[in-house]
Amino acid sequence: MHTAANILATATATGPYLFWITSRAAGIAALLLSSVSVCVGLLMGGRLLRHRRSELRITHEALSLATLTAIVVHGLSLLGDSYVHSSLGDIAIPFLDGYKTLWTSMGIVAFWALLVLGLSYYARGRIGVQRWRMLHRFAALAWILGLVHSLGEGTDAGQAWFLASVAIVAVPALSMLAARRLSPASAAQAGATR
Amino acid sequence: MSASARTAEQPRGKAPARSRRQAEALVRERRDAVRRRARRIRRSVAAVSVTLFAVAFLVVYVQLASGHDPALVANAERRAASATSVSRESSQSATMSGSSTGTGSGASDSSASGSEPETGESSASGGEAETSESSASGSEASSGASAVTTSQS
Repeated sequence: MHTAANILATATATGPYLFWITSRAAGIAALLLSSVSVCVGLLMGGRLLRHRRSELRITHEALSLATLTAIVVHGLSLLGDSYVHSSLGDIAIPFLDGYKTLWTSMGIVAFWALLVLGLSYYARGRIGVQRWRMLHRFAALAWILGLVHSLGEGTDAGQAWFLASVAIVAVPALSMLAARRLSPASAAQAGATR
Repeated sequence: MSASARTAEQPRGKAPARSRRQAEALVRERRDAVRRRARRIRRSVAAVSVTLFAVAFLVVYVQLASGHDPALVANAERRAASATSVSRESSQSATMSGSSTGTGSGASDSSASGSEPETGESSASGGEAETSESSASGSEASSGASAVTTSQS
């Protein structure tokens, strides 16, 4: 009886914050999913899992779409939060929101970049495969921008569990990205074999 | 061409048709297998994504309900710091002018209690509500924040 009352009290107390919690959870999910997606994308170009390329491609695509969905939830749920009072412009247009303008704008730019670079996959026939591949490399930059946004503005950025979970997926992705950038010969080879 | 050669060619003529059919069936089978695998991968990624969101939601929810939310803690500390500085200032002014002691402490009390719901409100939204200090939903925020602190205790 006492426990039920406690649960009810907690549910009532946290009720007004549901949009806020949803936004934070979606942001965390988006960051983790995008990091894994970058890892898988970089693995596709490597030699390690060459025979699994088609499966990696499907995984990369699914993870990217899941990331975009999570970011959309992250932004839209802020509209429902009665304390932030964000407008659609605040969450969609960079440098419009007054709160932590630089960090927020970084997140917005990262989202638009990921959306355009991600969905351009479906128009790569029109764009040209080589040109699209060159453009798609900037998706990693957008991911880094998102990472900086979450570490700079994220409410949970100082929490050990958050930093540990992000490190588990982001450090391998960053290492692979650095390895790819530092060895242009392997990158060129990977690009040629793709 | 001899008759024996002709009879040898006849089964060969049927064989390509059969093998083509077999090859087509094999291709279809492989294509279906690829599609099944793709569907399975997409489903598992969707399941992982939903699980990840649910876990993150739960962690943040428990954090908030138990009073260990970073935004709440930061604002509580800020609130405490501002309350102590205000009370110090008021006590200093009280000692400076002895006649205004009662009104000075009263002012400090009211400012401390008055800022509480507002900071509670801003803590709920990670400090973003600093811009909406004078929002009409102040009473809502105060009730929500006090309920969270009640569940803390």
